Amino acid sequence: MKNNKHPALPGFMAGLEPLSRRGFLRATALTGAAFTAGCAHLMGRRDAPQAIQYRSLQPDEAEVLTRLTEVLLPTQSMGLPSSTQVVPTVQNIDAMAARMPDQTRDLLGLGIWVFDRRPMVSFKFSRFTSLSDDKALAYVNAMQDGPFFERGLMTTLKALVTLNYWRDERTWPGLEYSGPVSELWGIRRLGNAPLPRA
Amino acid sequence: MAFVTVARDGVPVTQARDVALDATLGKNFTLKTDVVVVGSGAAGALVAYEMAKAGRDVLVLEAGRYYPSAQFTEHLGDTMTKIYQDQVGQVNTTADVIFVGGACVGGSTVIGGCVMQQPSDAVFDGWAKRHELPQLSAENIKPYFDKVGEQLHVHTNEAHEINACAHKVIQGCEKMKFSWKPAQRNVKQCALTGHCLAGCPSDRKMSSLVTHLPWAAAYGARVFSDTEVVRVLTRNGRANGVEARITDPDSGAHVADMRVDADIVVLAAGAIQTPLIMQRSQLKDTSGQIGRNMTVQPFTQVLGKFPEPLYGFRGALVGVYVDEFTETDGYMILSGLAEPESLLAQGDMRAGKAHLEFMKDYKYYAGVNAFSVDSGRGYVQWDGDPYNGDKTIHWNPNHEEFENIKRSAALAARIFFSGGAEKVFLPTFQSLEADSVFNLDAQLDKVDYGLKGMYTFRANSFSPHGTCRMGADPYQYVVGPNGETHGTAGLFVADASLIPEPLVAPPQWTVQALAQYVSDRINQRADSLFLS
Repeated sequence: MKNNKHPALPGFMAGLEPLSRRGFLRATALTGAAFTAGCAHLMGRRDAPQAIQYRSLQPDEAEVLTRLTEVLLPTQSMGLPSSTQVVPTVQNIDAMAARMPDQTRDLLGLGIWVFDRRPMVSFKFSRFTSLSDDKALAYVNAMQDGPFFERGLMTTLKALVTLNYWRDERTWPGLEYSGPVSELWGIRRLGNAPLPRA
Repeated sequence: MAFVTVARDGVPVTQARDVALDATLGKNFTLKTDVVVVGSGAAGALVAYEMAKAGRDVLVLEAGRYYPSAQFTEHLGDTMTKIYQDQVGQVNTTADVIFVGGACVGGSTVIGGCVMQQPSDAVFDGWAKRHELPQLSAENIKPYFDKVGEQLHVHTNEAHEINACAHKVIQGCEKMKFSWKPAQRNVKQCALTGHCLAGCPSDRKMSSLVTHLPWAAAYGARVFSDTEVVRVLTRNGRANGVEARITDPDSGAHVADMRVDADIVVLAAGAIQTPLIMQRSQLKDTSGQIGRNMTVQPFTQVLGKFPEPLYGFRGALVGVYVDEFTETDGYMILSGLAEPESLLAQGDMRAGKAHLEFMKDYKYYAGVNAFSVDSGRGYVQWDGDPYNGDKTIHWNPNHEEFENIKRSAALAARIFFSGGAEKVFLPTFQSLEADSVFNLDAQLDKVDYGLKGMYTFRANSFSPHGTCRMGADPYQYVVGPNGETHGTAGLFVADASLIPEPLVAPPQWTVQALAQYVSDRINQRADSLFLS
């Protein structure tokens, strides 16, 4: 049985839901994005990283997510495993996207597209992927402090990227987090509880 | 007298792959049983055990997958993908409140924080009076709580179960002269790993997976996973079975359709799924209340950063409980800091270096979950046909509920500042933090109610209830005082849906006491309910 015509997004992707469930938001986003896309085209764009083959992500989606990963997780400055060279953050997102129901996957694509092309005067209507490091970070922070729709979308994309970085065990020593311990500590399994007394 | 032996480990479960490989079943088959129980969580497992022990033929149908505890990894990210409802994606219609629940054999008991709390006597005496449920007065329901408490090793946390995170809450409370208590939990010989939310691999959490389900199986109950009940079948106004669909949990492939013929049907799929099944079944409903009156118990996670390393993620997940405001304001504040992945659901996780600094301070954090009361205005709805329709969960805070969420978070922040926190991260979609108690209110005032309170506080719900509320009047309540629905004979409800009004307590213990009560009522009426 299909229990939801709109397949539920994972919680961390919840901010994409308004894209599907609120027609007026979709229209607003698409209109704004189309306008900005034109501006962005005129302003030029970076080439997408093409070396990695993705199962689900399209090259332009991978480009946006890779850039967002670089902006959100500048790990080289903090002595953490690289978010692009060591931890396969975007590949992890790709694996997750490959498991999504079609409609959820479509929504993710729409969210990434809108995020990259969201019109903002203060950024001269540039696409996110064409912004410098400082400007790109400022863009992310501006989205987070924006109206509810922008907050939701930004929270979703941040969670998608950061979750797929921090879930990698190689990142945990940097947090002094030990991860799974039962085996390490030799904790014995108790098995099923015995039947209660009559 | 025959000996009854509980398996040492695991539960015998028929999974989608077993059905797919069994040529004798085919794509469409029918089973017969005395009792079909829908859902294998806190309530369903208990009912299955009680029915099987009484000699009934019992079939348990669980929509989620079977994930045996021997395979638990203590890795929260992986667990969320496998056995959390909709991969932690069950949300309200505006997608800013997450309804967290387990979708597996054992239900939410597998991934819960083990908190067991008995509401005050006034709650049940109130039910007796307001909803004409004298059978559930404080005096009458107490034996059911006692029985469940004994079966599940409910105990008050001892000193070694109060970790550094909880100690900060205690320090804050004592400075502010707030009452606090060690939490009560259903754990046997807790190994203090802190991985409750990823399931307990050493079987110390007394979830249904290691208690009522294997006990039910020992008495002959059969359990099917990957089996979602589409609707309840009726004949002449009486429930006589269910129709279900079996789906492979990995590929999503439709494996088979199942029909179950049963003398009685017990719905125990939780406060969201149970009313949806009833709505899909188009059952008689004189009350018009199926799916309505949903209490959400919204909670936010407040983080305090302390000057010294706490490693607050080590030890028992939930140590203490602030009960100062429970009776007066309906706030519950429970200590707890889970895996790093949980920080990403706390509030705004920042960006760039600020994000990395936020995460690298993990060992300095203490956390609490601040629950507030809501008024039971939420509802769940099934639209469309039973197979291709759509579930929606409707709840956004009204102004009063929004203020309650804000106040409970503010109290939690104050407790942390009194306990020595140098900073508190606020549970908001906006990026907000307070570096002293003196700018806390100013920061919180930046959170504006806006449009329906959307995308303001990052609220979650772990304990929705009340969607098939229980009471005597068939024009106001879905379920009667014995647990049988007013509209359909032979159809019982035994889960959190029954709770007739907003409850200010983690509901698991209450739910299991109610399931015990409903089981007893069914067994008392066995002569008239069972053809066999």
